[in-house]
Amino acid sequence: MSASFEAEALASLDSLYRTALRLTRVPADAEDLVQETYLKAFRAASQFEPGTNLRAWLFTILHNTARNRFRDRARDTVVIDSNAVERAADVAPFAGASASGPETPESLLLRDTLAPELQAAIDALPDTFRQAVWLRDVEEFSYAEIARMLEIPIGTVMSRISRGRHLLYEQLQHLRPVNA
Amino acid sequence: MPNCNQIDPLVTPYVDGELPAADRALVTEHVRVCAPCHSRVTAEQAVRTLIQARKSAFTAINAPVSLREKCADLARLKPRAPLSSAVDAARGALAGPRGAVDAAQGFSRASADDGRRFSGAALWRTRLAPVALAASLVLVVGGAFVYQITDKSSRVMVAELTADHVKCLALNRMLDTHDAPLAVESSMLASFGWQAHLPEEPARADLELVGARPCLYGEGKIAHIMYRHQGRPVSLFMLPNARRTRELVEVLGHQAAIWCVGDRTFVLIAREPKREVEQIASFVQASLR
Repeated sequence: MSASFEAEALASLDSLYRTALRLTRVPADAEDLVQETYLKAFRAASQFEPGTNLRAWLFTILHNTARNRFRDRARDTVVIDSNAVERAADVAPFAGASASGPETPESLLLRDTLAPELQAAIDALPDTFRQAVWLRDVEEFSYAEIARMLEIPIGTVMSRISRGRHLLYEQLQHLRPVNA
Repeated sequence: MPNCNQIDPLVTPYVDGELPAADRALVTEHVRVCAPCHSRVTAEQAVRTLIQARKSAFTAINAPVSLREKCADLARLKPRAPLSSAVDAARGALAGPRGAVDAAQGFSRASADDGRRFSGAALWRTRLAPVALAASLVLVVGGAFVYQITDKSSRVMVAELTADHVKCLALNRMLDTHDAPLAVESSMLASFGWQAHLPEEPARADLELVGARPCLYGEGKIAHIMYRHQGRPVSLFMLPNARRTRELVEVLGHQAAIWCVGDRTFVLIAREPKREVEQIASFVQASLR
């Protein structure tokens, strides 16, 4: 493992930690997850193909590790059936789309939603949608990269991003002042 | 003119600017005349724009400095070849096999993984054999510094903790301290961010809480809660950010029960019969988190 690989890998620490924090919601667990990710990454450094996206590779290890952990703990925790959530989201009426007037829904949402509210709304999303929206809109990965990380088809990546954004939109609409 | 079902899968890549020009024109044309699809695009666009605008608040969250140091240390733990000294060899043996990865993955898992872990342990021993003496020394002296991420023997850990157990309780006897459960719980919260919930009626298991202190172990502090069982010393250690297999180990005439909850490892040590220690451990475990 070269020093440059090590340095480049460690340059992704902050974004890996942020993402781990969104996955685990507990700082101690997030730190644990990130350490395990680096342990595996350094150990498997020779398997990394130079010229490809190292950050995406690290994120893939992070998500694989998180999945294994959730699987291990599944016996003790309540697992949300993500497919059921996806189906429910499919049939849920899509409210709040009828906003009219001189201001656009976009500008109203921007005006009325501060970062902490947005953060809370993102955190409240079901795991599958939160991951997809976070990886796309905050960490700015491509659909293909996210598909590899989450081990799902690209079409599913897009539909999860779509559902996630719509759920966020609905939730944030509810938070807006009544007379806004 | 495509129908809404055909447009549906194109909405997200449309909003993300990922569609080829032809498809893009198709969606633009459709949403111009279809109110529901127009609303969908508008909503998705609004959320995307909002996240972009507020993103700096999310990306301002940085990893703790201690985590950065630990991760940098992981890179240095890589085995190096050729091995130049006994110390390097032992380090390599410690860090080399998958045992270390397994250690980090948490041990409270299904038995399906046990075989894998044992094979890791076997490999660990094999690699260690050529430098057994030097490596053992390094394990005892330096092992404490890498305890979080290596497959270090539970016996070594328990031996170190037993030494603490004897020392702290001797000191406690001299000072004759008696801390209230609430005081111990609040000091655990302050020192470790651990919302400890100690057994409410320790007397039910013939236990008496006598004190607590943070002890130095490896690279950080661990919690040491001291009880007396029918007057005889019992120690409960909590190691933050450590995962170990659930087991009962006998070291230096003491029995140690080891278990793990989340990312905390608990070790209960007493110079009592095995059955007795198992019972005390079960009692304590039932209320601790």
